[in-house]
Amino acid sequence: MTQVLATTVVVASLYALLAAGYVLVYRSTRVLNLAQGDMMTLGGYFLFLLASAVPGQPALSIVTAAVLAAIAGFVIYRLLMRPMAGHPVFAAVLVTVTLGILLRAAIVLVYTDRIRHPLPLLGLSNPPRRLPGGAVVSTFDLATVAVAAALFVALFVFLRLSPLGIQMRATGEKALLAAQRGINFQLLFALSWALAGFCGALAGILYANNVRLDPSLGILGLKAFAVALVGGLDSLGGVIPGALIVAAVEVLSVRYGDPLLADVSPFLCLLAMLLVRPWGLFGTKEELERV
Amino acid sequence: MPGPRLILLAALLVVLSGAVPAHAQYRIGMSAAITGPASSTYAPTYEAYKAYFKRVNDAGGINGQKVEIAYEDDRGEPQRAAANAKKLAEGSILMVNASTSATYKPFMTESETEKIPLLFGGGVCPREAFPPASPLIFCSTSFGSKWDSRFALGFIKEQAGGKKVKVGFAAQDIPLSRIELEFAEQLAKEMGLEPIPVVVVPGNTPDFTPFAQKLKDAGADWVLSWALWHVEVGVFEALSRIGWQGNYLLYGHQQTQDELGRLKAGNLYAFGGNTLFLENLPIHSEINNVKGQTTHPAHYLAEGWVSAMVLEASLRKCGWPCPKDKLATAMAGVSVDTKGLRGGPIEWTADNHYRKNTYYKVYRWDPAKNAIAPVGGWTRLEIK
Amino acid sequence: MPLGGGYFKTTYAGDLALVDTRLRRTALGALIVVLLVLPRLTSPFALDLITQTALAAIGALALNLLTGLAGQVSLGHAGFIAAGAFTTAVLVEHRLPSPLLALPAAALVGAVLGVVVGIPALRLKGLYLALGTLALHHVVLYACGEFQNHWGANTGVSIPSPRLNGWVLRGTTAWYYTLTAIAALVLVLSVNLQRSRAGRAWMAIRDREIAAESVGIDVARYKVLAFVWSSAITSVAGALFAYQRAFVSVEAFGFFLAIEYIAMVIIGGLGSALGAVLGAAFVTLLPYGIDAGVAALRVPGGAEYYLFPLKFGAFGLLMAAFLVFEPQGLVGIWRRVRNWVFLWPLRYRPLRSAS
Repeated sequence: MTQVLATTVVVASLYALLAAGYVLVYRSTRVLNLAQGDMMTLGGYFLFLLASAVPGQPALSIVTAAVLAAIAGFVIYRLLMRPMAGHPVFAAVLVTVTLGILLRAAIVLVYTDRIRHPLPLLGLSNPPRRLPGGAVVSTFDLATVAVAAALFVALFVFLRLSPLGIQMRATGEKALLAAQRGINFQLLFALSWALAGFCGALAGILYANNVRLDPSLGILGLKAFAVALVGGLDSLGGVIPGALIVAAVEVLSVRYGDPLLADVSPFLCLLAMLLVRPWGLFGTKEELERV
Repeated sequence: MPGPRLILLAALLVVLSGAVPAHAQYRIGMSAAITGPASSTYAPTYEAYKAYFKRVNDAGGINGQKVEIAYEDDRGEPQRAAANAKKLAEGSILMVNASTSATYKPFMTESETEKIPLLFGGGVCPREAFPPASPLIFCSTSFGSKWDSRFALGFIKEQAGGKKVKVGFAAQDIPLSRIELEFAEQLAKEMGLEPIPVVVVPGNTPDFTPFAQKLKDAGADWVLSWALWHVEVGVFEALSRIGWQGNYLLYGHQQTQDELGRLKAGNLYAFGGNTLFLENLPIHSEINNVKGQTTHPAHYLAEGWVSAMVLEASLRKCGWPCPKDKLATAMAGVSVDTKGLRGGPIEWTADNHYRKNTYYKVYRWDPAKNAIAPVGGWTRLEIK
Repeated sequence: MPLGGGYFKTTYAGDLALVDTRLRRTALGALIVVLLVLPRLTSPFALDLITQTALAAIGALALNLLTGLAGQVSLGHAGFIAAGAFTTAVLVEHRLPSPLLALPAAALVGAVLGVVVGIPALRLKGLYLALGTLALHHVVLYACGEFQNHWGANTGVSIPSPRLNGWVLRGTTAWYYTLTAIAALVLVLSVNLQRSRAGRAWMAIRDREIAAESVGIDVARYKVLAFVWSSAITSVAGALFAYQRAFVSVEAFGFFLAIEYIAMVIIGGLGSALGAVLGAAFVTLLPYGIDAGVAALRVPGGAEYYLFPLKFGAFGLLMAAFLVFEPQGLVGIWRRVRNWVFLWPLRYRPLRSAS
């Protein structure tokens, strides 16, 4: 029983990291970034790149990889999303899909489809740890939970208390008014994409060290967007309950039901949510009419 | 002015129609998962073929004729494989499939329609290669359905030393893996082991822990896995993470040598038909020599090399000229010395296109020696 | 849209005709002649490409109906194709492989699925509709996967060549004629739907749903109708896909297939039947074009490893380029070229009165 709980929390943390990226991007630019999964993979491969180039430097590699991914997010906004400003939302979402395709193609071009393991290159190990109550998880499982918790705390502090964060929330709510107040909203949009890249990279780095790294990890991003939708596409606070619900459904369906259902269960949650309450648990209701 | 447009159209049509190729060599068509998620298992076969036959052609070819192999990438997808099969069937005397089992059906259909012999050079051997064999289906791959399970369970029983042990099975959600391990579950019961129902894992699951948890909770002493490498090893790593102490037996694909070294786990046993390169036989040095031509390291090439050896022997036996029906007959009686890459020779008969005897060896990481070491020698199973 | 000046129709039949001017009639005649004679002139490989294009065009036309005409964004197209293909597989497994049964059955299954998707879709708009259809796509694929495993013991289901009263449909040429004919039929169907009452209703809903409702159009009914038509045609395309490939396996129907069809419709030009066909041709032929390009460049060994990501990446790049720079798609380009050709040496269309 405690094992089920532990596994749920671990899986939920990973989904939460990815879903945070979706929410950040949606809140500011009103685009669903379907390439978030591939940005996660990109972060993982940045880590692999650095770990191969300078082996044995875990702190340096991890931090640099996350920063690189943030820069990539910034560049992506500037080059790809900003020209899509006047276009219908659906077109912008499709552009993110093509972005995902491009990212994946670039990764396969450089690194082929082989499964990679950055962990030994970093000089770290991933031993199992026993929790009180009998559950056993790996070290990086714990790291995932810790990082997700820390990230959410940091995001809340940033968005609520820091001037830049408040400006970001303002532009997310009403970009026109914010611009009239002199806020450089284009910069803030780009910054939100950079943050999304950063969150995705954290997820990718943790996953790559914990399990494996290969170009097809983007599929996790698709599951995570179900989490974002369940929680509410523009609610960062909704991500946590959303992630827990979807992760619980997935883990329980593997344990007590058909394991193959695990792949589909996030989408079943998504469908259920769309039919009952399309704006998610904590999303704003207006969002539905807007699109 | 319809005139210029008609001329343009005619020119376009002329350009679109291709030239008819010449048929002065042994023409073989190969479809492999060169890219795609399964590529690390099958792309080395493609590279081994390229390097091997480049060597053969440079030395003058077979019976004075060069061997021309047309390679197509199917990414392990059946749709692409179907297109490749149609394309490769044109003018070839033999087709080679080194790809996932999902690509088999279209190739077998095409082979039957066009009466072209089909050699499975890297993927698991289909039922049609075993006795009674289909006349056109041949298989050189080291692993095959049912016999792998028979050996694996025999090994587990031997290692258990007479104690009644609980055996768990980790399958991938591809039909061949599921069927094989369901067969193994049945066989385990007959052999006096205590089987646990098969746990089926989706190939692209992000977290293997729930499946590992099921196996651990059921109290498995041994777990047998027979699937693509990343699933086999994923379940093992998850089991280690949650602190399981039992023993894990999996089929060793190309990645075995690297991965056993990476995981350094004393309870992980890899069984297979190919000798690992750490045994440093003369044939291994020979393969090492073509290192520069391949993107994969030399120790990934064993499977493909054996398949290429079998093909070369078949072409030699066929002689020249070698139409496809003559080739099929020649292959049905070929015998190939694998020079140590396998435990013994590959011998085909009219009825048996797998081999008369199949050999298995087990390797594991030995913590005492801090190196990968074989567990025992070769075990021979006679294919009936 | 007549390019000549004036309005010279004297009969209702003439007004309703799809092909009205003499130039169009000549062009259509020439096209038909070329299509009939094509197998004699080109290699089997090129013929196979055209066949694939025709099959893709059927699906693209259906998607254009839903997304381009009715404005209902759908990312679940691959699910409908899978539904049609697996209907055929189910019938084959029950020893009923005849296409006379499979094609209508696929259409029926598609229509039912269209209702199942369409009714909940009434609640969703735009982005949420797209995501809902995406989620549904996964559910449909799961169902198909379970079928494949259950009847499995296979890595997929082999579909025998379709038989009609003893005549077997086999071989590149036969398939070429069949699929081109069916694609032409679907094209005519699509164009006629566009001109029909339903088509006009769909376009009204797409452009301004509230205005359409206030004018008296039953939005709910027409939205579901759009789903039904689109998914029925797509399922038939799926059944044809199953017969032509002679093999059905769930891996062939992943999310990327849906993206390919969306790309066809977008690159071709949203809302236009010609656009759907052009887009289908473009997306189908692009990988082969890259193959030919890479072969012509004679890249040294190892090229195969780069070919797939190159094709994949080029596809993504082109789709993004069309989305950003040419929202009207290939049809927009075609119209510009056509206008330039016909108006030359003039640059602009003459101003005309209200007709």
